Amino acid sequence: MAYKPFDADALIDATAPLLHLRIEPEYRAAIKANLKTASKMAALVEQVKLDDHAEPAPVFRT
Amino acid sequence: MSDPLSATASAVEIATAVRAGQVKARAVAEAALARIEKHNPALGAFTDVTAMRAIDAAELVDGKIANGLDPGALAGVPYAVKNLFDIKDVVTRAGSKINRDYPPARRDSTLIARLDAAGALLVGALNMGEYAYDFTGENAHDGPSRNPHALDHMAGGSSGGSGSAVAGGLVPLALGSDTNGSIRVPSSLCGIFGLKPTYGRLSRAHSFPFVASLDHLGPFARSARDLAIAYDAMQGFDDADPAQTKRVNELTAGRITYPIPGLRIGVASGYFAGDPVAQSHVQVVAKALDASRVVTIPDAQAARAAAFLITMAEGAALHLDRLRERPEDFDPDTRDRLLAGAMLPAVWVEKAQKLRRAYRDKVLRLFDEVDAILTPATPMKAPKIGQKTAMFGGVELPVRPNMGIFTQPISFIGLPVAAVPVWLKGDDLPLGVQVIAAPWREDVCLRIAHHLETAGICAAPVAPGFRE
Repeated sequence: MAYKPFDADALIDATAPLLHLRIEPEYRAAIKANLKTASKMAALVEQVKLDDHAEPAPVFRT
Repeated sequence: MSDPLSATASAVEIATAVRAGQVKARAVAEAALARIEKHNPALGAFTDVTAMRAIDAAELVDGKIANGLDPGALAGVPYAVKNLFDIKDVVTRAGSKINRDYPPARRDSTLIARLDAAGALLVGALNMGEYAYDFTGENAHDGPSRNPHALDHMAGGSSGGSGSAVAGGLVPLALGSDTNGSIRVPSSLCGIFGLKPTYGRLSRAHSFPFVASLDHLGPFARSARDLAIAYDAMQGFDDADPAQTKRVNELTAGRITYPIPGLRIGVASGYFAGDPVAQSHVQVVAKALDASRVVTIPDAQAARAAAFLITMAEGAALHLDRLRERPEDFDPDTRDRLLAGAMLPAVWVEKAQKLRRAYRDKVLRLFDEVDAILTPATPMKAPKIGQKTAMFGGVELPVRPNMGIFTQPISFIGLPVAAVPVWLKGDDLPLGVQVIAAPWREDVCLRIAHHLETAGICAAPVAPGFRE
């Protein structure tokens, strides 16, 4: 299945009202750039295959 | 041996002279306050000066000495803290405009209380990038903290004032925070020593948070010994920080002179070795340590990406109400990153937390083979203030989020790191190297840092022009 390209505008338009965030027009370009960077970061994270038993680390011990 | 009243005096030199009765703590405090008044307009390091408090603390130290009492290991040592530490009766601005509308702190942060108990003298609060989401040391509200070695260059962030104050000789000791590199980046750019301890070692209580999963606090100084003494004074369990360890204190100052032969030291390859300038600084350190092993830190790029996502999401959650109510009062660069962070799919963040645990397990296995790993602290020397982009591995990218590409994969799993300053022959600006050890082995980091300093490989001179 082919995925559509990441659409930062769609994400902003869907989540900003949900979160009661006011997005002024002058904010949008930088938010989009940051979301695009984040999507690349998420793709890098997903490249590392983790099994079902990989525990998340919200409580972290070194 | 420096004059204890001079800009170049170390914390150890000051405390030794004060404890021996050779100089009054009050005179040391007054000398530091005079330097701040003279040089801070050029450096932009301090945002608050606590002169009366410093004088009162100095008189307490002098009184103890007069009465034959122990004034503490840091007797009479002036120090300052990033302005996200709570200082009683001072507003904790955390680099922001918004938080300066909040009431003054009702008590000191835990680490300030511990340094004060050791006889140190708090002289003020230091400039920082807004809400610590920054690697430049620039601040839209207070102006930039400047690099004392080249005033038109960045001090690094987000603890920019800490780097500027120590390299500029205003104080021998400062505290900062490090979520993704905010102690190690300014240390690298300003040419000083910085210690990011193991996650959970030093209490973060009563400091303004950024990313609870990743926040650390730690010291800056111009020598490894000063770092060790300050670090030792700040250890100890504190129930007020939920991430803090109950592990017993492990003092380091007495161990930094242990010999280096016998330590197995490796140089990180791959992800960390892409920039020739940064790598040349690592190689100087590696040669001095006879570190011929090559270490591959697995999944470092993915780890950095995961730290990036967790930072965006947790930072956004922390600031969500402020983003709703006062978005126009943020630094736009901070605001737009945080707004984007509020919109991340939850699965991205959960995947990042899963990777964190698996990555930690892989990296910890490396310490079966080596005691310490060397990497650059930053991919480049200090950029110019206002510079928005730079070349990273041959690609032009924004400076602000990318100065931490080498620090983020390390703090992501809480490993202790000493950033050590390296000047190559003819350099006008330094570049730092990370000395990374296994959890709770700050002694290894500081021992190597001290060795490099005594061997003349690393040095943290007060910048010319700020020595008087």
